[in-house]
Amino acid sequence: MSTQASLSTPRTTANIPLILVAVLGVCGVGVLLVDFWPFLSNGMAAQVMFSPDETDFQQLLFHYSTLPRLSMAFLCGAGLALAGAAIQTVLRNPLASPTTLGVGAGVEFALTVFILIAPASLALFQEAFALAGGMIALGAVYLIAAKRGNATLWLILAGMIVNLLLQSGTQIFLLFNEQYLQSVFMWGAGDLAQNGWDAALFVLPRVVIGMIAVLALSRPLDLLALGDDTANSLGAKVTVLRLLILGFAVFITASVISAAGMIGFVGLAVPAALRIAGLTRSRDLMIYSVLTGGLALLVIDFIVRQFNGLGGDVLPTGAATALFGAPFIILILRKARIMPGAQSNDHPNDQHIISKTGLSLLLMAVLIVGVVFSLFTSLDGTGFAVLGWTTPWQDSSLDVLTGRAERTFAAMICGAALAVSGTLIQRVGRNPLASPEITGVSSATALAIIIALAIFGVGQRADLMVIGAAGGVVSLIVLLALCRKFTHAPHYMLLNGLALTAILGAIVRIVLTRSGTQTSMLMSWLAGTTYFTNMDEVMIVAAVTAVLLITAIALRRPLELASLGTDQAVSLGLGISVFQFAMMLLAAILAAAATLLVGPLSFVGLMAPHLARVAGYRLAGGHLLGAVLIGVNVMMVAEWLARNLLYPQQLPTGLIAALIGTSYFLILAVRNR
Amino acid sequence: MTFFRLFVLAVVMTAVSAISGLGIHSATASPIVINDDRGTVTLDAAATRVAVINWGLAESVLALGLDPVAIADPQDYQKWVGKPDLPQSFVDLGARAAPNIEALRNAKPDLILISQELDIAYDKLSDIAPVMVFSIYADGNIAFDSATDAFRKIAKATGREKEGEAYLKQVDDKLAAYGDRIRAVLGPDQEIAVANFYSPTNIAVFGSPSLPGSVMKQMNVPLAYDGPVSKWGFARGGLEILAPLAKNTLVYTNPIPDTVRQKTWASPLWKSMDFVRNNRVYELPVVWGYGGVPSGLRFAELLTKSLENGPTQ
Repeated sequence: MSTQASLSTPRTTANIPLILVAVLGVCGVGVLLVDFWPFLSNGMAAQVMFSPDETDFQQLLFHYSTLPRLSMAFLCGAGLALAGAAIQTVLRNPLASPTTLGVGAGVEFALTVFILIAPASLALFQEAFALAGGMIALGAVYLIAAKRGNATLWLILAGMIVNLLLQSGTQIFLLFNEQYLQSVFMWGAGDLAQNGWDAALFVLPRVVIGMIAVLALSRPLDLLALGDDTANSLGAKVTVLRLLILGFAVFITASVISAAGMIGFVGLAVPAALRIAGLTRSRDLMIYSVLTGGLALLVIDFIVRQFNGLGGDVLPTGAATALFGAPFIILILRKARIMPGAQSNDHPNDQHIISKTGLSLLLMAVLIVGVVFSLFTSLDGTGFAVLGWTTPWQDSSLDVLTGRAERTFAAMICGAALAVSGTLIQRVGRNPLASPEITGVSSATALAIIIALAIFGVGQRADLMVIGAAGGVVSLIVLLALCRKFTHAPHYMLLNGLALTAILGAIVRIVLTRSGTQTSMLMSWLAGTTYFTNMDEVMIVAAVTAVLLITAIALRRPLELASLGTDQAVSLGLGISVFQFAMMLLAAILAAAATLLVGPLSFVGLMAPHLARVAGYRLAGGHLLGAVLIGVNVMMVAEWLARNLLYPQQLPTGLIAALIGTSYFLILAVRNR
Repeated sequence: MTFFRLFVLAVVMTAVSAISGLGIHSATASPIVINDDRGTVTLDAAATRVAVINWGLAESVLALGLDPVAIADPQDYQKWVGKPDLPQSFVDLGARAAPNIEALRNAKPDLILISQELDIAYDKLSDIAPVMVFSIYADGNIAFDSATDAFRKIAKATGREKEGEAYLKQVDDKLAAYGDRIRAVLGPDQEIAVANFYSPTNIAVFGSPSLPGSVMKQMNVPLAYDGPVSKWGFARGGLEILAPLAKNTLVYTNPIPDTVRQKTWASPLWKSMDFVRNNRVYELPVVWGYGGVPSGLRFAELLTKSLENGPTQ
């Protein structure tokens, strides 16, 4: 009943981890030699390290900028990799990382608020504030997940929800403090630049204390890795140990993030890679993670530094690290079984508040009333306005209606497309927490549009649509190429999606640091906005969604079988992998279509199918239709709120949808306790 | 839906042109043709009800003595641009990145001015009124020159060419006078570097295409930074980017978060810079760095006063 995903460990004669560390070590020494060379050649190396000549700026720069940067790179890399190793072992999930548990988002939210509103007298408390943010986020995640049977699964879900909530909070804060955006974005993209030893001296003791604690706990950690039941029978106090290790891992992470910004990839990839390379004992894994993570970030940061000043701009290390590293996720995790194969999902208990027919009718009624309400009413600053009643009908009223219809229908179609996409993925992947973006196709679509818009300056909506669609098609072809054997179709899709999403995130962070007055528009598009849509696009996406929905409903019987699990389905004579793959493809196309229309907004694709399942729509056909009804309604409400809540401000619909969605999951989580 | 809308639009247009053909307005005015970033825009008559979705364009319209009927982000305009003052009454359009279409329609503009960032919404906006796109910041643009060019075109579109030329003449004279005053304070061998601190390790130094850089050129005041710049006219880097400029005078712009100032000022690298040691660091009050001609003039005025008032501490 857990999402445990074991990593196969190939038997090797050569000691791969040792070779890896040795190679990185040589590179690291090379980096140091190159950086020290100007001072080594004139015999000033010792002087520049300990007491630089106050009149020689080159010496000062080296002592106060280069040297602390080298130290920070190693410390941050080592700390994050160790934290990642600890978290992955505790949660027994190779895709877990400090960011999975909401720590990154918590620190980011706290620091954003701090940078925007704190007076100078509090500057000393910045790091403490950030640390508190990360800890509170983790506390919230833990409170939601604690004392549940399936704690691992719930931790990941709770982390996701808290992440989304905090990110939405950060975005809302930023949207209303536009002028300071650049200060926050540069930090958000992970900046290792230093101009003093403060940050390094802040991180050093914290990372060392954290490391000692985690290493001391690493023997019991090996018991944890055997699973709750085994560990329990061995007498280890699982919960306490889990909490302690997670706490120290978060402590390290929050310290690093608050000093250097978001550098996420190291904590995920380094321990996972080492485990693939054959390290199974957690103590070995920790020690190797420290060395590998530190050296890897040192080398990557050296490469990143060489790009600084190009075109009068800087490249932030954190985002660049993710950019370099994302393709490796596919290589590293090829052997990881992430999608539970034979494991089935946790079956939510039906909430028999109302019969299914009654619920369907109610949802339809809400839909019809809602559309009329959306089109004819608004808050226009003076108060509640009804078109044709409180405000007189005039020539332009038809244009007003058309404008509202465009946006309302765009939101609704997007809700329907994502609901179908999410239902298919949750059914085929047998994972109630899967959502459309895991195919990566929507990320690829968004990526193509962002690059065209912000880097190549393409400003025409129609051109952007074509470019986005092309990006989606290319990623579908990559998907086809990766999955040509069909044996692990959902699994490869997930890796593909993970890598593409990481690349998108990294590029978005880089773009946001350098897009000047364009930034707030990019932000609202990324959060999901119907502002730029037109009726032709809505019609096209509606047609695509309708055709694919009908296809999916026609295939409801094999879909039902596919949700039972591979073994049963195969014994029933179903070509399960080909079918799974085809369904994933449908889901991917739907997600891409929705992304073209309103941007990469996908939480409704997770929420609507989940809610439909909880509400009692069990069979595939009903599940699809129920999810569509819910998705459409949620997006319709979100769209009206986005347009009217803070009139005349037009908020991104996706932001409101995310807030509605996270509140739902939080209420669900608290009620189920 | 689209066809239906076009049909309705055609009907309305016919009706409107029929009414205006009756001679309510003096129909003798020749059409005004203006080249904007997209191509050519033709207005039947000088625009009187202008909606502005960019602060640089808003201040230009105001400087021409015309009150815009709709303005985006007016609260932030008051905070970050300041002058010229906004009119008594106008329609608030919400965020510049997504101006409220219904509010814009209610304002009944006869001309909408936007910058290139909002080009993506061009079709939506041009359903309401003719749209002109002016970009002060674009690759290869010299900010003050393109701001002046946009100013002239806006003057022409609103039928205020005479007022426009008078304003520009006045700006020229003032810039020259401010330039003289700055050179008198500055000393013969000093150049000015203008920097914006995003964070202690992320600093923008304005280059010659930027608004500060191009205004200083107009004032004949030497600009210290002469390296590569991004589309927005500045170069970014850590404190090391200021090191080659240290023998000069540094002017830093606002807003600067308190925490950023505190941390930067405490850095040993900052303390080692010549302009810090020789007390040649000046602070500039808030001025809109991506603005139009009026912001350029305001920058010149504030720079002069800042230098005359002496360094910070």
